[in-house]
Amino acid sequence: MGKGQPSYTDEEFVAAIRRDDDRALAQLYRLHFPMISHYVLQNSGTDDEAQDVYQEGVMVFYEKVREGSLELSCQIKTYLYAVCRRLWLKRLAEKNRFGGRLEDHEPFLETGAEADLELAEERDRQLGTMSQALDLIGEPCRSLLEGFYLLDKSMQQLTAEFGYTNADNAKNQKYKCLVRLKKLFFSQYQELN
Amino acid sequence: MKTEADYYALFEAYRAGGLADEEQAALEHRLAADPELAQRLSEFEKLTGMLTAYGRRQALRRRLQTIHAAMVAEQAPRLDLAKAADQDERREQLTARPAPRPMLRVSRTEEKLRAFWQGHRATMLVAAAVAVLAVFTTLLGLEMYRTAQQSSSSRNGYTMLRREVERIKRNQRSMNRAITQIDATQPTERINPGKFSGTGFALTSDGYLVTSYHVIQGADSLLIENRARQRFRAEPVFTDVAHDLAILQITDKDFIGFGRLPYAFKRNQADLGEKVYTLGYPREDLVFNDGSLSARSGFEGDTNFYQVSIPVNPGNSGGPLLDDRGNLIGVVSGRQMDVQSAAFATKSSYLMHLVDSLSTTGAGRPYNLPRANQLSGASRPQQIRKLQDYVFVVKVYE
Repeated sequence: MGKGQPSYTDEEFVAAIRRDDDRALAQLYRLHFPMISHYVLQNSGTDDEAQDVYQEGVMVFYEKVREGSLELSCQIKTYLYAVCRRLWLKRLAEKNRFGGRLEDHEPFLETGAEADLELAEERDRQLGTMSQALDLIGEPCRSLLEGFYLLDKSMQQLTAEFGYTNADNAKNQKYKCLVRLKKLFFSQYQELN
Repeated sequence: MKTEADYYALFEAYRAGGLADEEQAALEHRLAADPELAQRLSEFEKLTGMLTAYGRRQALRRRLQTIHAAMVAEQAPRLDLAKAADQDERREQLTARPAPRPMLRVSRTEEKLRAFWQGHRATMLVAAAVAVLAVFTTLLGLEMYRTAQQSSSSRNGYTMLRREVERIKRNQRSMNRAITQIDATQPTERINPGKFSGTGFALTSDGYLVTSYHVIQGADSLLIENRARQRFRAEPVFTDVAHDLAILQITDKDFIGFGRLPYAFKRNQADLGEKVYTLGYPREDLVFNDGSLSARSGFEGDTNFYQVSIPVNPGNSGGPLLDDRGNLIGVVSGRQMDVQSAAFATKSSYLMHLVDSLSTTGAGRPYNLPRANQLSGASRPQQIRKLQDYVFVVKVYE
């Protein structure tokens, strides 16, 4: 914890993150990382795995807060612990190394984290499909769509970058790319389900 | 006919609110009427929503990576605040590039070992505890077993020489059977051979006997058996644990006495190098053994005992130790296992001392010790012929 930084209560954290306050997010991240790191290391994980799991957990929390759909029935700490615990269990099961009891040092039941995680997993699947679709779509569609939707560039900027004669051309190209992406995305998505 | 791309242009304008009022109304009207178009719109929205979400997720991931890297960097050497803030700003400008992940320098083997230890710590601890426990239990158990075995008959290589009869019981039964077959008139009397046996000899002519204390230790009842297999019931009158002595008295009513004892008891100490011998019942028969008096102290310097170089065996305990002239000088007690033919015998001086003190207290019948020695001057076989009727088997029942 750095000196001179404001310290937040749980409510203030939620409010600040809803405002997309970068400092609050950073502080929250630092505040609870040692707990998760300790937990993962104690249950046969490495530093890198601890980082991955924690970041995923924070993302679930962050997205819930940003959506405004978070119903926090416990401390943020407990919520994060429950989410990360679940995520780590899943990882262990995937690694097929999970041979015994996990060593818990925080409460993790009835935090609402389970339900949130199921939604988040569904979302993860969709985003994974989207990532695959974007990989398959090829240039220049990929750069164009990423520029517009992911990096929030304006059509004028993109027109200049891709050398289109005017913004309408760029727009038309973008719509065509969207159509292709839609086909790729929905065919992949249906395959998965 | 509009292509799908054209529809997308229309949808985007519609969502952005860039349509003229009548166009918007017309589109909404068509959406309500045409489910296919509505489906198309929902797909478009889902797709663009997903794209934005994907973008946000990636941005968030980068932000967290940055935060993490900053945290790790801050944890290493504490930078001063201004510098850290400066660095944070610069990092934020570089958000497009993912921050490098901090790596821990751990070798692959060490990592595996660590993972193994992390995963199996509890199991290994339990296993180690069980192993340690098992080892100590075994050692302790063995030690206890050994001491239990030793304590009754020997300590530190000292072996007391009472004979355990149980072992040869079976042998004797078969012998009894053989006897029965030879002499059919004899009733098939079951002889209980007792649990232990030792040797004893007469102290007075009217029924007092001497044997070793350890022979009758823990006895329920005692039987005295002479060479002619005559049996008498006996009871311990006095025992002296320190000198390993016991005085027994024959309690049978029809016992009339031993007759005059041929040997005398020596009141002072015998000399080193004196030729000595003993009679005893290490087997079912009387056995003679001789040797010399090799020391005037016993096991571990105990002055109550002599050391004699007579080969003695279990069952010899309580036997008389006599010198060349037929004076009784001791009572055979035990031997040392790790020393060649080192047997020990209680000195007769202590036996006399004991008898004297018993006489003065006046308990029981008076002790009329033999005064004259009839054996001196006689040859060894003559001495033994006279002696043998006064040496008995002491049988112990528990």
